[in-house]
Amino acid sequence: MPGKPKSNFELVLNGLFNENPIFRLALSMCPAVGISTTLMNGFLLGLAVLFVQVASSCTISLIKNYIHPKIRIPTYTLVIATWVTVIDLVLSAYFPTAYKAMGIFIRLIVTFSIILMRLEVFAAKNPLIPSFWDGFGMGLGFMFGMMTLGFIRELLGAGALFGHQVLPAKPLLFFILPVAGFFCVGFMMAVFNYVEYLFKKAKEKRAEG
Amino acid sequence: MRDFPRIIIGLTVACVLSAFIMGTAFVFTIKAKKHNEYMEFKEAMYGVLGYGHKNPAPKSLQFHELYRYIMHEPKKDYMGYMIPTKDGKYCFVALSFDGSFLYKKNLNISEEEAREDSVRQKALLKVLDPSVKFFYANKIIVAVNNGKRVAYLLPRAFPGFKTTIKVLLALNPDYRIKGLEILEEEEDPGLGGEIKRKYFKNQFKGLTYDRVVKLKVIKKPLPEEYRRCLEQEEEFTKEQIEKIREKYQDSHIYALTGATISSTCVTNGVKNIVKKFAYRIKVLDKVLKEQHIQAAI
Repeated sequence: MPGKPKSNFELVLNGLFNENPIFRLALSMCPAVGISTTLMNGFLLGLAVLFVQVASSCTISLIKNYIHPKIRIPTYTLVIATWVTVIDLVLSAYFPTAYKAMGIFIRLIVTFSIILMRLEVFAAKNPLIPSFWDGFGMGLGFMFGMMTLGFIRELLGAGALFGHQVLPAKPLLFFILPVAGFFCVGFMMAVFNYVEYLFKKAKEKRAEG
Repeated sequence: MRDFPRIIIGLTVACVLSAFIMGTAFVFTIKAKKHNEYMEFKEAMYGVLGYGHKNPAPKSLQFHELYRYIMHEPKKDYMGYMIPTKDGKYCFVALSFDGSFLYKKNLNISEEEAREDSVRQKALLKVLDPSVKFFYANKIIVAVNNGKRVAYLLPRAFPGFKTTIKVLLALNPDYRIKGLEILEEEEDPGLGGEIKRKYFKNQFKGLTYDRVVKLKVIKKPLPEEYRRCLEQEEEFTKEQIEKIREKYQDSHIYALTGATISSTCVTNGVKNIVKKFAYRIKVLDKVLKEQHIQAAI
């Protein structure tokens, strides 16, 4: 990371907007498209990823000095798999209905590229506290992305929010299908890019004036 | 080469640590998970008896579990039943295959404890001769309301087209089918997977014993009226359902389109379950009466 170290607040914001995993980095698209059919699913998977990301970031930043550089990727995977198993067991024990809806996607968190990438890029080079906030921000960004997609898709596809019917009809049934997931992601990327463009313009104006 | 020991030690330590964390999580969550599974199963039991949110089950309805074992002695094989007694404990009754009484032992475990496989195993090992080997076969759940048997619930498994199909079958005391629930299956989605749809599984509802033993699968389209009755039972009154059943229900099951094998598997499975069960429970009841065993069922 070049430049001066970021504050904790900036790290969280970075995960939420500047480097949002789904809309800016376009990582972990498979679950984003597959699971975000309803707001609740998006929220739950987001929560699970948040936990796994924070836990593995903290673990790796604590043990980074003991990891041999040649086996760092297997070690990261092992750490992620451990925390995923923990959350898998906890969810299946205390939230059985949610666990049923999520099914295999909880276990697939092991393969989410975003978590591995954060460990490699950030947690392996930074102390505990920044790693925690970075993991928290990234997890929050993922959750935010999943919930946004879930909101759009559930509202348009089923006319409902959190399972409660809010619209009298189902406006566009096809939003439930995976194809529409891609459309939503693309649309949200465009929105993010446009907002960034506006910010840049405002900045330039300020610099000039 | 120099790094090899460090890598090996590092990976081993990492694996041991992660195994420790996962094991701890497992120990802490296993109880809640078991409880969840049991609650889910209980819900399926109420569902198959026709109780739900709209008509809740009466408070006096109780479930008693019977466990059946296959016993091996060096010279002979026989069956054993773990039967709940009136004082809330269990007794173990051994029967030969032709239905004659062999011996009876008392077990000091409650019904709650007996749900755990390992507890039953230990209790049996305590009272049985060490030369006897025993294997758990299956269980019979008897629904009792005010001291009267209301239904038998049979969680069973039989081979399907792809993998084993797990079902929960409910029978009236006269062996008429009260309901069928598919608990687990991995048939082809959209083809064999349709066995868990109401229009297939409800075809078994209301079949009498005489009809079940002659049951076969026919490849004919399901009549529209019958289908509607199977799918939306709530819309019909009891008399109407009886009438439609009278009209269409004979000793046959309408096969699913494109999944004749799955349909046949379920039909034969149900047929076998009912046949075997009816025989076994008759034998068991006779023995319980002859030996004056105070069973809770």
